[in-house]
Amino acid sequence: MIVTENKDIAPELPEERVEGRFAGLIEEHQQRVYSMALRLTGNAAAADDITQETFIAAWKHIKGFRGDSSLKTWLLRIAANKVRSYWRWKKLRSWVGLARGEREEDAPALEDLLPDRPQDRPEAAALAADLERRVQAAINLLPPRQREVAVLRAQELSIAEIGAALGMAEGTVKAHWFAAKKKLTGSLGEYL
Amino acid sequence: MKEEEKEKELAALLAVRRPEDFWLRQKNAIISAASEKRAPARAWLLMPVAAAAALMLVFLARTPVRVPGPETLISTAFLDHLDLLDDMDVLEAVPENEL
Repeated sequence: MIVTENKDIAPELPEERVEGRFAGLIEEHQQRVYSMALRLTGNAAAADDITQETFIAAWKHIKGFRGDSSLKTWLLRIAANKVRSYWRWKKLRSWVGLARGEREEDAPALEDLLPDRPQDRPEAAALAADLERRVQAAINLLPPRQREVAVLRAQELSIAEIGAALGMAEGTVKAHWFAAKKKLTGSLGEYL
Repeated sequence: MKEEEKEKELAALLAVRRPEDFWLRQKNAIISAASEKRAPARAWLLMPVAAAAALMLVFLARTPVRVPGPETLISTAFLDHLDLLDDMDVLEAVPENEL
């Protein structure tokens, strides 16, 4: 089911139809939202939580969606705000000494990126897991704003859409993307 | 290599790939979490009633501390005084030679 307009999905419908439309909204956008959350947190469990919270919040406030931006941009904006809250919470935890020396730049554990067990996977999948880890490490090296822009650009969003999703001017997005691209090409040059 | 192609390759490299069943499981989990969240939201509507009931219970369960009011205090003193007067009456009633 493809859902593109908010007027089509306002939850003023019988329960089962509402559920069907909610499922359609998730199907259409979940990969984008999850990918963004995973790349920005480097943590599969956190990305799962953020994806879930994003869709629940979006569904709750769908009537308030004015259609100034696309539904895709609106959802990614919600997700980006939730990722920012996640980092603020992590920093607070680290500040009060609850975290075990976690830092934004820390490379995530492989099991955080891939929830299945590496030893159960064939060699080809293990290589893919290694690539995944390297890609994530390269993203983690970027400053937060460059990281956000790069991750959204990888979702094939235009500069204008990224600006709308992150609340940035297009010129700022371009500058961040230029810097991020240079760094990522440097880190992942062997795969390009 | 053209800049556009380079960007496409980079985007493909940054993409997150998961099997179909992963997305299906995630979608089902989101739908079930959303319906779970709706239930407590309805229960939340009963919160003011529950709070009022709890306050009422606390109020009723409180053991009343009986602080004697000023009127009671006066009455006690007055009665003591009356007792004294009674004794005096007795004394007065006894003839002087019997004392």
